[in-house]
Order: sequence, then C-alpha cells, then structure tokens
Amino acid sequence: MKRYFGSKRGRSVTTLVVVAAGLSLVVAACGGSGNKESNAGSVVDNPKCGNGNGEKPTGTPIKIGGIATKQPGTDFSDGVLTAKAYFDCVNANGGVNGHPIQYIYETEQTDPAQDAALARKLVETEGVVGMAGGFSLIECDVNHSYYEQKGIGVLNAGIAPSCWSTPNSAPVNMGPRYSSDGAVQAVIRQDVDKIAFDQSNVPGTGYIAAGPKIVADAAGIPIEENTDNVPIQDANSVAVKLTQQAGSNGAVVLNFTPPEALKILQAAQQQGLEDSVKAWGCSTPCNTDFLAGALGTKWDGKLLVNAELNVTDFDGPDSELYRSVMAKYGQDVTGGLGSFSQMGYLMGEFMTNALETVQGDYTLESVNEAVFNLKNQETDILCNPWYFGKNAPLHIPNNVDWTSTPESGHMVIKEDCFEISEDEPDIAKVRQIEAADPSLTGGEAG
Amino acid sequence: MPSWDEFQPFIVTGLALGGVYALSGAGMVVLYRTTGVLNLAFGAVGAMGALISWDLINNSLWPEWPSYGVAVLFCAVVTLAYGAVIGPALAGRDALVKATATLGLALILLGTMSWIWSDKARSQVLPTSTHAFDVGSVAVTWTQVVSFGLGVLVVFGTAAFLKYTNLGTAMRGLANDREITATLGVPVRWVEAQAWLVSGLLSGVSGLLLSDLVGLDAVSLTFLVISSLAAALIAQLRSLVVTFFAALVVGLVSAMASPITSISEYRNMAPFVLAIVALLVISRKREISFAGTGLGNGRG
Repeated sequence: MKRYFGSKRGRSVTTLVVVAAGLSLVVAACGGSGNKESNAGSVVDNPKCGNGNGEKPTGTPIKIGGIATKQPGTDFSDGVLTAKAYFDCVNANGGVNGHPIQYIYETEQTDPAQDAALARKLVETEGVVGMAGGFSLIECDVNHSYYEQKGIGVLNAGIAPSCWSTPNSAPVNMGPRYSSDGAVQAVIRQDVDKIAFDQSNVPGTGYIAAGPKIVADAAGIPIEENTDNVPIQDANSVAVKLTQQAGSNGAVVLNFTPPEALKILQAAQQQGLEDSVKAWGCSTPCNTDFLAGALGTKWDGKLLVNAELNVTDFDGPDSELYRSVMAKYGQDVTGGLGSFSQMGYLMGEFMTNALETVQGDYTLESVNEAVFNLKNQETDILCNPWYFGKNAPLHIPNNVDWTSTPESGHMVIKEDCFEISEDEPDIAKVRQIEAADPSLTGGEAG
Repeated sequence: MPSWDEFQPFIVTGLALGGVYALSGAGMVVLYRTTGVLNLAFGAVGAMGALISWDLINNSLWPEWPSYGVAVLFCAVVTLAYGAVIGPALAGRDALVKATATLGLALILLGTMSWIWSDKARSQVLPTSTHAFDVGSVAVTWTQVVSFGLGVLVVFGTAAFLKYTNLGTAMRGLANDREITATLGVPVRWVEAQAWLVSGLLSGVSGLLLSDLVGLDAVSLTFLVISSLAAALIAQLRSLVVTFFAALVVGLVSAMASPITSISEYRNMAPFVLAIVALLVISRKREISFAGTGLGNGRG
C-alpha cells in the first residue's frame, strides 16, 4: 500500500481524494446556505407578545411542557421550537403577570413506552403545570388517559385519532382525515364525477380514508381508495394509475407529505397528465410555498389544497405577529414559515392567553381550568375563533377551512372559509356543541 | 383487470426504470467482478450527486449541464476515493465484510444529506423531460428514452469492453483469480481503481436520471439500489446481459403491477420476489458462494 501511494498513480488518487473532500466542503457550504426560505409578508422589529411592556419578568417561572416526534423522515420539532419562540417573546415583554414562562419540551421516536415515560417525566418530575405542544404521531393515543386522570387539558397538533376524539385534547389543526375531507369537498365543487384518493401506506390509513369516503358517498360520487408505500419509488406509475382511475371528468386527491405529493404531481406533469383529469386536490401538507415553488406555474389554480391554516404571508395582525416572532425568536425553526410553525405559534399564544386569566398561584389545577375555559380565541391564522370546549367529549375546534392553490411559486387563497362536511359524525357532534354554546366561537351566549 | 390500452403507459415507465436499474446493476457487477466488493453505497453516492446538482442550479444559480457534470464528477471521485483508501485495507477480507463496509459509507452519506438538505419538497427536472412525444396514446419523455437507451448502451458497451480491451481482460482476470492475475504482472490496484471510477460515474448518471424519474429524495434514491441489486443477484453478479434483462423485468413487473388494485400495494416487493425466485431456481442447479475472491468459488 505504501508503494502504491508513493507511486505516480497513487499520488493521483490521493489528489482525487483531496478534491473530493474539497467538493464536499463546497457542497456543505452552499447546501447550508440554501435551506432558509425568505420570509414573505410584513414583519415588525420588536414584536409585542403577552403584556407587551418590554420588561424582564422577575417572578417564579411557570413551567409548560411539550412533546414532539423527531426521527428520520418525521421531524415535528419545528412546532415546539415555535411555541418556545412565542414564549421567548412573551418573556421579553414582561412575561405573564411578572412570571416568565419556562417551556420544557421533549422529543420522541414513536415508541409508546417512551411517550408514556416522557409525559410522566414532564408532569411529575419537571412539574409542568400545562401542556402546549403534542406534536406527535402517537402521543394522543398513548397519553390521553393519563392526561384525563391528571385533569390536564392538552393543546395539540397531532396525527393520532385520539387527538380529536377524547375529552382532554383540543388540537389547533384538524388532522389528515378532516383535511382530506376538505380537499374532497373542494374537488366535488368542481363538479367531478369520480374521485381517486391516494395516501401513504402507514398505520391509520383506514381511519383517514373513511372520511373522504363518507363525504364522497354523501355526494353520490364514486371514490377509489389507494395507498402507496413511501418513499414512492415509481411516481410515474402512481400518477398514471390515479389519472386512469379518476377519468377525464374525475379528480385525484392526495394525502401525502410535501415531498411525496410533489413526486406524483411532478410525474403527472412530465407525462402531460395534469389536464387529463378535471381537478387535483391535496390535504393540508401541500399548503406550502416549498411545494408551490418546486411545482412551477403549470399547477397554478389547478391544484386545490385544503388549508386548515391561513397562508403565511396573509396581511393580518396575528399573521404579522407570527412572522415577526419567527424573524426575531425563531432562528432554530429549520422549516421557517409554514404550517408547523403556525401551529406552534398558536399553541404558544393560546396557552399565554389562558395563563393571563389565572387568579392566584399557577398550579396544575388553576392553569388547566384556564385552558379548559379558553374560547373565542380570535386569530387570522384560523377561519373561526378557536376554543377548548370545557366538558365536551371531543374537540375539533378547527373545522372550517380555506382552499389554497399555487400561484407563481406561492400558495394563495382560492376559496374562502367553508365548513368541513357534517356528514362526518364527529364534525356533526362538534357543530351541536358549538350551537349549544355560541360563545365558544364568539357568538352570543345562549 | 385493466385493459391493454391502460397497461401501455406502465410499459413505458417500467422500461425507463428498468433501463436505469440496468445502468446501476452494470456498475455494481463490474465492480464486484473486479474487486469483490458489492457496493451498497451506490444509491447513496448517486443521491448525493443529484442533490449537489440541484443545489448548484437552484441556490448557486449554476447552469444545468456544468452542475450535472460536477455531480457525476463528485460521485466518481467519492467512489474512487473509497476504493483507494478503504478498498486495499479490506482486500483480503470476506465479501460480506466488504459489502458491510460500503453500507457504512451509505449511512454516512445519508446522514450528511439529511444534515445539509432538510426533507423539504424539491424536484429536479432534467432538460430531457421538457420534451415528450406520443407513442400511440402514451406520452414518452426524452428522459425515459435516454434512461432505456443508456441502459442498453452501457450494458452492452461494457460487455464488449470487458471482452475486447486489455483493461477489460485484466478485469476479467481479476474476477477469476486475483493472486494469479497479479503474478502475471497485472497492476491489480490500478485495474481496481478503474472499476471504482466507472462504478462512481455510473452511480452519478443513475442518480441524476432517477432524481427525475423517481424524485429528488435522499432516502428514496439511496434505497433504490435494492432494485438494481436484485437484478445483479439474478445474474449471480456475473453476467451483464442477464443483469440487463433482469433489470428490465424488475422495472416492468413493478410498474405493471400498479394498476392492478389487488396487488398494487405489494409491487415494491417485486425486486425481492424475483431475486429470491431466481436464486432458488439457480441454487437447484449449483451452489452459489457469496464469499471468496471475487466470484463464486472462483468460477467465472
């Protein structure tokens, strides 16, 4: 080996190794700089959160907890990082009644035993008095009984069905099932005669697919349900399959993460299939400028995306505060502006609003009583005011959505707020709850 | 069951994917025959090359073709560097150890890609995909044509190269017996370096084509090596021509299972099923050894 590297050929190989190392460094440098997306929309230099007095809080910290999934391929940590950014903003503006908020968040790897242990650690060891941030694939299913036993009302943005069907969990998002419903409703309004619905082949697909089927059946439109293994390895075939199923007067509706949805849409575009069906729909994950930018302009106005949260460059006071908090305190949020950071912001904001109503000491009981009593939380990031809904058996406060579409590399609102179908049994129950107490969403109390 | 008309587009996509699998399979077989290394990092190297070209085009605003050139060069250099630095150290080890070492390289590259490029949606559309033509009712892009054509060209070109050139003869000699070939005065490491270089170049080209055909996603591209590996295994890591046809079958079966609802979600199993069936059939005829000096039992 020594002779080889001392030889002429050996030296040239060594040179190549050095070149490779140099190339790697160049790539690392340019890749790192390319990850940040530009912040669209107005921002203010010194955002005012909470009291907004700019003073440093001196009281004892109020401990709030959060749990997020973080594993290869699924990283929801942007949610808790944005909640922390909001709390940092609150702490820079006097805290809550002079108390700083100490946000303690944990990350998990979809291990039920780990999730159970983390919730108990946060509550019983760390002593958190409230939970803002269930950004997990499974945590709702694993821990909802524990939270019910402890009397904790959790502000969630989860995936598991228990997030929307149990008494102590109130999500700021509506999840994949109801968002897919919204996308199906959007394409039905385009007067299609058949729907091909496709989603990733992961646990829980049956629960999610049941929603679009209920909505399509109610409209008398046949729907074909598909699942595809992810990562998708043959996007061209998937695109052809779906467009064939839907037919020229039908629609294709996707429920995938942005990279996987992009593969299918891009494959359809390359094969000239974007106009072979009447409409294309997608659930909320597609509501991102990353996808709009990668798709190009051929899909402008053609792809109907259910948007359970507003577009990030919306010109409204809460959207501006969100962008400003992100600009000043959200440097650790790797995904920048987007749905996950919007959810984290809303959780931070709603939890802070709850804390501000607490009279006396900040205990598990007093804080969660305030959380359960949250209602009429107005924000331009959601269609309707958000509420927790005390004593309700289930919570789907985000049940009215927009439809967005790509336009010149950005997502823009295409359809104003519309209600997710009451053909969904749990949505019908929630509407009854809202009708029984209109003050939840800002109406006059009955 | 879909009609013949409905199957036709899947034949096109299957042939295109099969062509790239053949390209990758050829790179793996040539390397294995020469060095005894089953390169499981083939897909990861190609994935990184594709992401580099995307980054240069979209963030550094480089023109497309120089970016693709850098990507392929990167793959060639990284693969060659691995072969030059790690290869000699493992030359005397079991084939399984050598293959596992390349898996280590794959994981390092995968981690590096995750670190540099987050899992955001991004796409790479090669210039050849902006033009298409119709064959009957099926739209065929030039990327699909290039994928299939390059598969044919590389496989049969490499087979001719191995048969008719001095370097090819040396490579075949190494495949038969490394020690005897060395005693005949063949510069073993130089020949091996050429094999690593060729393998790296092919991984770069495959990565670029697959980033367009499949999607620009580090994990997908890294593990697409499995389909190529299946084709190479069906050919017993020996015959380039068999690798080519096996790759086409893998691509076609995977694609044509898509519209058949009852088996659609199992189509990703096609490479494994085909490889297992082929190996079982072959094993009834003779024993296959994974260890040794390059090829099973030195036969070859």
